[in-house]
Amino acid sequence: MIAIIGLVVGVVIGLVVKPDVPLGLEPYLPIAVVAALDAVFGALRAFLDGLFDDKVFVVSFISNVFIAALIVFLGDKLGVGAQLSTGVIVVLGIRIFANVAAIRRHIFHA
Amino acid sequence: MAEQQLPERVTMGLLPYINAHALDEDYAAAAEQRERTATGQRRKVGVRGAAVLAIFAVLAVVAGLQTSRNSSSAERERRELISQVKSQRAAVTEQRRTIEALQGLNRRLEDQLFANSGSSNGLLEQVALLGLRSGIAPAKGPGVLIVADDAPDAESDRNRVLDSDLQKLVNGLWQAGAEAISINGERLTALSAIRHAGTAITVNFTSLGRPYRISAIGNPDQLPARFAETTSGQAWLDLQREVGLRYSLKTQSSLRLPGADVPQLRYIEDENGKNKFGRDEE
Repeated sequence: MIAIIGLVVGVVIGLVVKPDVPLGLEPYLPIAVVAALDAVFGALRAFLDGLFDDKVFVVSFISNVFIAALIVFLGDKLGVGAQLSTGVIVVLGIRIFANVAAIRRHIFHA
Repeated sequence: MAEQQLPERVTMGLLPYINAHALDEDYAAAAEQRERTATGQRRKVGVRGAAVLAIFAVLAVVAGLQTSRNSSSAERERRELISQVKSQRAAVTEQRRTIEALQGLNRRLEDQLFANSGSSNGLLEQVALLGLRSGIAPAKGPGVLIVADDAPDAESDRNRVLDSDLQKLVNGLWQAGAEAISINGERLTALSAIRHAGTAITVNFTSLGRPYRISAIGNPDQLPARFAETTSGQAWLDLQREVGLRYSLKTQSSLRLPGADVPQLRYIEDENGKNKFGRDEE
């Protein structure tokens, strides 16, 4: 319940405040969102598996976002930003799919 | 066996490994630890988890807003540019029209100026006549249209129209009494040259393509006959017969010839040593 409240509050804050993203951080925002999505789906799966842990979720979320942004930042500095972003998206995408498949098995038992 | 001692991330491919370990192993580790400390209870989402979810929502919404804002601003810039291009183009068209109008006005005023002052009346006529004779002014009148072309399936220069053939043709026409001649729309003046440049014939330094259409203004009743009597006319009849050049002559009741570009006269002077055309000698 509190999770859904948190989500809704976040959406409302985002819509109301409409914070301006600093130009320097703009390229890292989408990849950070994908990394966060991975952490969120992992948490949902862990919750359904009965393994959920608040602290692990917080740490995995923050480290995911930070590392994804860092990889893209490094890639930009090395001139392979686009390729590294693709790599990050592929890996995160596979994880998201695997986790969503597990969630699906939990919900539909199939 | 050695194989079994290897860790999974070595034996598995990268993608299957990622697939198999999609869930952070920390969750399992934390759960194990909980069991060991015997709290044993399934944990619920706490305040920290909710806060992180809220941060996630903010991030996602901001990213979405930013993307849509960027795309709309790019679209706006594009429209802005298009409208600028359109307005500038309209301005150019407008200015061009103004130029045309002013040029027309200029010409009218010039004519009026000359016409009003009685003394220059003759001068105006003289200018017009000189323009016609020298080929600078456009001319119209009756005459003949000659179309000359290479022989069908010409293989060598022998059965192609050469610059010397055209020169002969034009000289014959002058001799026969033509008053103005143009080849493919290039008016011939006293300074025009008919030359081969590479494979093409150039007149007034403009390359011509075959067929060559020679328009000559003159008496349409006399011009063809008198041309046939000249040596050039004879030569062309020979060319037609011997090497198969194509040639046809038709009289026309009305021909329009364009004017030639005004050449810059540099050395010609009148009797008093002045260049009439206003270009100061250094």
